[in-house]
Amino acid sequence: MRRGIRAAAVLAAAALALAGCGSDDEESPAASPSNGASKPPAAVELKIGMAYDVGGRGDQSFNDAAAAGLDKAKAELGAESQEVEAVTGEAESAREERLTQLAEGGYNPVIAVGFVYATSLAKVAPQFPDTHFAIIDSTDATGDNIANLVFAEEEGSFLVGAAAALKSKSGNVGFVGGVNTPLINKFEAGFKAGAEAAKPGIKVQSQYLTQPPDFSGFGDPAKGKTAAQGMFDAGADIVYQAAGGSGGGVFEAAKAAGGKAIGVDSDQALTADASVRDVILTSMLKKVDVAVYDFLQTVAQDQFKAGTVSFDLEQGGVDYSTTGGQVDDIKAQLDDYKQQIIDGSITVPTTVS
Amino acid sequence: MSAAVQAPGGGAPRNAGGGTRPAARSGSDRRTRLVRLAVLLALGFVVVSLVRVITGAQEISSSGTLGTALGLAAPIALAGLGGLWSERAGVTNIGLEGMMIAGSFGAGWWGYQHGPWFGVLMGIAFGAIGGLIHAVATVTFGVDHIISGVAINILGLGATQYLAARLLTGTEGGGSTQSPQVDELPTLSMPWVGDQLLDLERHHWFLVSDLAAVVRAVTTGVSILTVLAVVLIVVSGIVLWRTAFGLRLRSCGEDPWAAESLGVHVYRYKYAAVVMSGACAGFGGAFLAVVAASQYREGQTGGRGFIGLAAMIFGNWRPGGLAGGSLLFGYTDGLRLRQGEESIHALLLVLGIGLLALGVWMLARRRFPQGGASLVVAALVLLWFALTDTVPGDFTGMTPYVATLLVLALASQRLRPPAADGVVYRKGQGR
Repeated sequence: MRRGIRAAAVLAAAALALAGCGSDDEESPAASPSNGASKPPAAVELKIGMAYDVGGRGDQSFNDAAAAGLDKAKAELGAESQEVEAVTGEAESAREERLTQLAEGGYNPVIAVGFVYATSLAKVAPQFPDTHFAIIDSTDATGDNIANLVFAEEEGSFLVGAAAALKSKSGNVGFVGGVNTPLINKFEAGFKAGAEAAKPGIKVQSQYLTQPPDFSGFGDPAKGKTAAQGMFDAGADIVYQAAGGSGGGVFEAAKAAGGKAIGVDSDQALTADASVRDVILTSMLKKVDVAVYDFLQTVAQDQFKAGTVSFDLEQGGVDYSTTGGQVDDIKAQLDDYKQQIIDGSITVPTTVS
Repeated sequence: MSAAVQAPGGGAPRNAGGGTRPAARSGSDRRTRLVRLAVLLALGFVVVSLVRVITGAQEISSSGTLGTALGLAAPIALAGLGGLWSERAGVTNIGLEGMMIAGSFGAGWWGYQHGPWFGVLMGIAFGAIGGLIHAVATVTFGVDHIISGVAINILGLGATQYLAARLLTGTEGGGSTQSPQVDELPTLSMPWVGDQLLDLERHHWFLVSDLAAVVRAVTTGVSILTVLAVVLIVVSGIVLWRTAFGLRLRSCGEDPWAAESLGVHVYRYKYAAVVMSGACAGFGGAFLAVVAASQYREGQTGGRGFIGLAAMIFGNWRPGGLAGGSLLFGYTDGLRLRQGEESIHALLLVLGIGLLALGVWMLARRRFPQGGASLVVAALVLLWFALTDTVPGDFTGMTPYVATLLVLALASQRLRPPAADGVVYRKGQGR
């Protein structure tokens, strides 16, 4: 029996060690801090802490966009950075710990990438009043030292909704959301409003893959494929996905059904697998890189402002993509809608009625 | 080898309701049970068809839904099959999820480089490695099965996250959490019948269209891996119940000490069973990566290993039962993702009618409390159906779990796990 216990201990230790290895990819630039002397002097020498959402650098989507903003800022402003990322299914305390470590390590500003950090940031930020924090996609955590970088996803979604309606031959389009959260509801609301505006009476099917607190809907392509298949079977010919990692399944379903799909966050006609790129009609662009870069620039110029900073159509925070040329024929109409939204003559809803 | 052996001590975690049973089941008894099952299935089919006609919720028996159900059920059934092999040899395996994760990573990592078939093979191999670790811990070292299983789950997740970050970062189309795309495997379709059946299905006739949908679902666009999964379940059933090897393997799960006294090399059988278990779970993971998603993605198993284990318990540690449990789960999961709010609403009517029938049957057999409870619940469900048009999305997501739980609750009185399941067996030490 003693042998058994020893084996169990070894096994458990190995498991913990490997689980630990999986959580952070130790290739942090902080291990070899860039020497400020070789860089052009900036107004404020930045030491940037980045806490990514699950996936981190290399997810070809949300986190990569944030990383691109960071890279641009580092190249132009001269800064050093420490990057850490979240793990699937981790506890709230792990996120708190991550933010605390960055702040204690002297990193300022600290950027929390993703709404998952809202609760932990609200706890951590008051303990470091001299550190500037920013959180992307959430207005839940507020404070004197927190900037909330949010996007008008509904405005971008309105444009791709209009594009779907104008391009649909069956008068039936679909929306697949990853998890039924207020953030993803904004995508759905904008998409529905845009489709309705371009073709009144159009049928818009809608399906969420999971309900919170089950966030697996952002990482389960099988579910995305199933839901989209159901929509194509029910007569839809274009499906818009705001489902993170499950979106690949939607593209697969579109390809199998001979339909089209609309990408999200980044220009997916460039980033998705080559075999499905031609089914991607357009993508709703959410320029997280612009938001991160702009934020870092304001901090570098010592002009940090707490509170909500909104990136909408007018500032180019959201947009639609034209890669592949599939929406070139309706570009004039889409740009017309864009202008109307910027003017304020169209107000896009943020919740589904 | 009597099946009525009591599990020694309190070591068997899931022995409730098990233990005693008529020693042998005569052939005619078995035939009546099969006939009863067939009648029940046919009745259920008629009810579903009827409900479809009444409510107009065509999705509840469309070939699309049924085909999806098959595809969603396959990985769950494979995980369940893994559980079956292991637990029939007396080793509780809650590490299936970890082995599945390992399988999905193996399939994604190798699949994008050397083609999907090689990926599937490597998925199976990775799962088998997980099984081997479980076997070493539980059989050779006598570690508690639950502890080892939990460790495998943590290890499976941690090791794949680590390996993915090391091996997939920077690949074209991949990243630290996903692999590049894996090429597709062929699907099988019977020539010319697909369109005819679809035509028949689109008429929405009572029973005829439903039948056409069922036939179309199993003859059109079925992945070759789904077919392999079905074959594997059948072959497992034959090997475990119709061969000397299977009899010896199962004897290790019922009473390893008796098996030992008859000269069975218990450790060897347990090793074979648990490695096979891991291979099945790895195959399930490979199915997810290659067929369902065309890539490895972190977290894509989504607890299917545990659901497979539940499907196996639901199926009373038998291959036919676990296939039924997986299909039920796959069906309800597919249904809620396809026109979920309308379809699940129609499903309420099916549920109401089913509970009503159950209640009446129980009252007729003078089981008044159970019968009364069934009727009350049936009335509530039917009332819910009558007063609403759709079921809100918050509830449709729970459907697969509620349905499985419900059937499990109704059927659980008859479950009988292997008598020595989960018991730590030491060679030559007696009980």
